[in-house]
Amino acid sequence: MSSHREAPEISKDPVADSTDVYAFVSPDKPDTVTLIANYIPLQGPAGGPNFYSFGDDVLYEIHIDNGGNGQDNITYAFHFQTKLRDPNTFLYNVGPILSLNSPNWNSRQFYNVTRIQHGKSVMIGSNLPCPPCNIGPLSTPNYANLANEAVHSIGGGIKVFAGQRAEGFYVDLGSIFDLANLRPFEELHAQYGMHVFSKPAAGVNATAHLNVHSIALQIPTSELLRPGKHGVSDSAAVIGVWTTASRQQVTLWDDWKGENVNSGPFRQVSRLGNPLFNEVLIPLGSKDLWNSLPPTDDKRFADYVAHPELAGLLPALYPNVFPNLEKLVKAGTARADLEAILLTGIPTGIVPGFQNYTGPEQADMLRLNTAIKPARKPNALGLIGGDPAGFPNGRRVFDDVVTVELRAIAGVTYPLVNPKYKPDAAAGAITDGLTAKSVPGGYLNHFPYLGVPHSGFSTPS
Amino acid sequence: MSAQSHLEPAAGPSRRSMLRGAGAAGAVGLAAAVGVGAASGVASAATRPATDHRAAGAERPADAAGAPLVVYLRDAASGELDVFSGTNHTVIRDQALVARLTNAVR
Repeated sequence: MSSHREAPEISKDPVADSTDVYAFVSPDKPDTVTLIANYIPLQGPAGGPNFYSFGDDVLYEIHIDNGGNGQDNITYAFHFQTKLRDPNTFLYNVGPILSLNSPNWNSRQFYNVTRIQHGKSVMIGSNLPCPPCNIGPLSTPNYANLANEAVHSIGGGIKVFAGQRAEGFYVDLGSIFDLANLRPFEELHAQYGMHVFSKPAAGVNATAHLNVHSIALQIPTSELLRPGKHGVSDSAAVIGVWTTASRQQVTLWDDWKGENVNSGPFRQVSRLGNPLFNEVLIPLGSKDLWNSLPPTDDKRFADYVAHPELAGLLPALYPNVFPNLEKLVKAGTARADLEAILLTGIPTGIVPGFQNYTGPEQADMLRLNTAIKPARKPNALGLIGGDPAGFPNGRRVFDDVVTVELRAIAGVTYPLVNPKYKPDAAAGAITDGLTAKSVPGGYLNHFPYLGVPHSGFSTPS
Repeated sequence: MSAQSHLEPAAGPSRRSMLRGAGAAGAVGLAAAVGVGAASGVASAATRPATDHRAAGAERPADAAGAPLVVYLRDAASGELDVFSGTNHTVIRDQALVARLTNAVR
């Protein structure tokens, strides 16, 4: 998955597990940038009676680098607090929830938003209510309207939302984690000699009916950039974006209270910039460490980007399908294309009319050139599909990042740094067989862009 | 800068350096949690084994001062103790206290 359960330690701590980060110029408000950080992966919509909520003991942050050095110049921090109206009932709600202050809603969650810049913290939103989870037609009728109440305008042209959303990331987990099988090409898989598949099959979206929890901000672009006007070719138009979750260093089970108590400074336990970075590129023994580090430490992991394990596996698992990739891998060629896409951004002169280069500092961040206008007819394959407004220029909610990254690792983007290299025909066709249409319910065309969460009543887990 | 760095004083090693330190030292870790202001109770508390207070039907004591204070001894040989309270982390060196703690749990 993009980053769902991607590392051993964080897979045991879902409320702190970042799953996806999105950063894009808002299509309906192009003088703003929308930033979304998703947490709590693979939520079964019927997961009551204690429906999903953010961690009151987790510090969630969205970081923005506008200086090109992999360090955050601006951070938005989120602290949550759960409040029970009545601790003497087991019920999440005791009647229909028709408003965010409904007396029928027992277990509510509120949050503060703090903006940190130049060493100063300013609380820009306080005691903001989250929406409830989408339970069903009796508990949460008119859910879309109810959730809209939780889109808060907090001054300065900023909107914020924190709560449950439908999972917008699509991926065929079931096949990919079955030894890198891709259903549309499964008859070509070596299958370890078992001959299980004789013909291709359609992809299956494993996250189709699941929910996540989103923290979304829509911010005037000028608030995120250094002062001045910046055109497409100006490196100051580019921001780096990532999210982190942190926990206090000590957690102790208090058997008198029957709950955990926490102590000590907050330490980072989860990090996410580019999709699939930690999941696919970083080896198991280093994933937890990677999650605890800042992007400025990513040069330590650059070799995993330059020589991705998956690039070596594809020719082995799909014999005779990737002969040119196989030669590239056997030659030990460093993948400067992947290093640029994921660690520095793409410099001017590589793709005509495009750059999202932040400088030589190698750091995993989503890099968004904010001067590139939203596409009138977006292509979910983003830049490799001829749409510079999409991934890896930031990431939109519908971008097909699995296909883009599979194709990039398979060699499609290597000619960017070596025009003599001819990618295998399969490299330009590889996919897990899904598109944005594989997401039931689709997306919203306005903030917070991710769709209305699936209800427990209509989507039993 | 992040809220993480903003919320905490500079004192103390990072989680990463702690993990490294723990791995390098290969020493026995020991943690103790006490109410704030109850440090003097460490030795006496450690002289009796912990029991399930609830099963014994004991009354719950009032919180000493709300937030817990946690002491972590990861390397007895160094004499260093990590002390956590609120969002603070302080490293103290006290060989005598380390000796009392380690003796108490033997």
